[in-house]
Amino acid sequence: MAEFDKGSVSRRTMEIVTALLTSAAGLSVCYGSWRSGIGWSEMGPGAGYFPFYIGVLIILGSLVTLLRSIFLSRFRGEIFIDGKRARSVFGFFLPIVAFLIVSLFLGLYIGTALYIFASMKWQGGYRWWICILAALAVSALFYIVFEIGFQVPLLKGPVENWLGIY
Amino acid sequence: MGNFGYLMDGFATVITMHHIVIMIAGVMLGILVGVLPGLGAPNGVSLLLPLTFTMDPISAIILLSCMYWGALFGGSTTSILFNIPGEPSSVATTFDGYPMARSGQATRALTLAFMSAGIGALAGVMMITLLSSWVARFALQFSSPEFFAVYFLAFASFIGMGSNSAAKTLVMMMLGFAFATVGMDTISGGLRLTFGLTDLIKGVSFLVAVMGLFGLGELLLTTEEGLRFEGIKARVRAIDVVRTLKEMPRYGWSILRSTIIGIWMGITPAGPTAASFMSYGLARRFAKDKSQFGKGDPRGIVSPETADHSAGTSALLPMLALGVPGSATAAVMMGGLMIWGLTPGPMLFIDRPDFVWGLIASMYIGNVVAVLLVLTTVPLYASILRVPFSIVGPVIVAIIFSGAYQIANSTFDLWLVLGFGVFGYLFKKLDYPIAPLVLAMVLGDKAEDAFRQSMLMSNGSLTIFWSNPLVSAIMALGLLMLVWPLIATAIGLRGSRRRAGQSAKA
Repeated sequence: MAEFDKGSVSRRTMEIVTALLTSAAGLSVCYGSWRSGIGWSEMGPGAGYFPFYIGVLIILGSLVTLLRSIFLSRFRGEIFIDGKRARSVFGFFLPIVAFLIVSLFLGLYIGTALYIFASMKWQGGYRWWICILAALAVSALFYIVFEIGFQVPLLKGPVENWLGIY
Repeated sequence: MGNFGYLMDGFATVITMHHIVIMIAGVMLGILVGVLPGLGAPNGVSLLLPLTFTMDPISAIILLSCMYWGALFGGSTTSILFNIPGEPSSVATTFDGYPMARSGQATRALTLAFMSAGIGALAGVMMITLLSSWVARFALQFSSPEFFAVYFLAFASFIGMGSNSAAKTLVMMMLGFAFATVGMDTISGGLRLTFGLTDLIKGVSFLVAVMGLFGLGELLLTTEEGLRFEGIKARVRAIDVVRTLKEMPRYGWSILRSTIIGIWMGITPAGPTAASFMSYGLARRFAKDKSQFGKGDPRGIVSPETADHSAGTSALLPMLALGVPGSATAAVMMGGLMIWGLTPGPMLFIDRPDFVWGLIASMYIGNVVAVLLVLTTVPLYASILRVPFSIVGPVIVAIIFSGAYQIANSTFDLWLVLGFGVFGYLFKKLDYPIAPLVLAMVLGDKAEDAFRQSMLMSNGSLTIFWSNPLVSAIMALGLLMLVWPLIATAIGLRGSRRRAGQSAKA
């Protein structure tokens, strides 16, 4: 078996975790369908009839994957992710979560501008005025394409309200 | 009026200033989407789809289908110049495309790729022109059990023909069906699988799933790989293009073989990725001199490209004529058709011949436009990949979430995209196929309706799927597809044993 670096996760662990997650999804599908009625109603098969078997198939498929990952040594020694890669994935993922939370309060235009400014400033290491210009340019471009070009509204917050943009 | 007459009408509809501009815009956006990491054809079409709700269906489908062609070309560009496949279906192009470009023949590699891709695409469109109304007429005799059998066949061939583990394919497909059932039940009006969350009543849009799984998932995967793209400087010189054009006829056999593979894999839901790999493999097997493969053999570029594009176009035949898309992108487009109020399937040929033949005509022109555009704009797009990821990445993320919000003006969808993104990353790393999930999400309602109506017709007996020769034949074919891996291993085992016996004799 290969030596793992500190903080790395093996592929086998992730295979098992994912198979457990999909079985849980299958179980909740079965439970949800059972509540809607999996039997035969006067209108034919009940609302849960079809999805119930979908859930059963999800569980069956997940179990096969689970058993194969536990008992077959196919992925032994394979690393799913190591510490260095995990850091760069989280370095990209966490700002996205922050971007979403900010956008819920301030709207997507301001959220986008702040997100692009922050990424360029702290991850790209650009000078602040370049970051501001780029952030404003992207938001303005979105506004032109979406609101003016295709006339579809984007989530707006208090700032647009205050500026009188609807 | 024959197909030819309809096609001419289609050309008359399509050749207007308005539609040509839409085509050019679609192709340009498509190339962009194909070149950028994390934005592939399915995701690009999903992002553009909400913007087409207000357009007329013909213009909308031209925009989306041209984006698809453009994305296929864009994917080949990055394969050749950067050794980064922009699309999964252009992975096989990197094997010989990148080595050829590195040896200073970038123009030759690009021209070979684009020309053979164009030929493959046109062959696919011709096949659609010849076969589609025949298939549609045949499908007119279908009722619910037959339709369910066709869906069964489509999904069975995914499990049987796919390169991924059958259990994983099954799980993904069924998860797709499960997502499709979330929300209001169309027959009883009751709520299903909402678990008390009001945000789930409207259901989970397949667009949200595509944006998360393909878009965000792909981006997360990209960040892992480090973010420097080392590309080859390409300047497309006209003289090199002409010289390469002259050598094209030499690869006639490769092109013909790859076209047939591509068309077959495109009509069956195996899709462009499988087609390009298979075509590359066969080109290598049939070549007399194998030494140049992997080092820049032209046949190693021509074969996967032709198959990729002929499969990509052919995937629209089952979508139009049967209502069963042959690839993830075709599935997204079919979802679009349903949103615009059109029902893909045989009735579309009767109700809206102008739409069907307008689309087919646009596929001829669109692909020619795409070849010309991609040849002239390659340097421009190649320079986009040199923009650092710390700018491009966040911009793509912002585009994805803006697109997700526009589907239903719902902030809940934003969180769903994030969730799908995490799972997309996980699934991709663990070799779970994503296309079956998307297909099942788009087809879920239709498959379930077909199933429930069949059950109503037979009072709950499954024998209805074996009640007449037509439905039995389709079901039998589906079962055959399902057990195909077992048969193939059996045959393969025999074959290898025979070979072993021969070598022992020699």
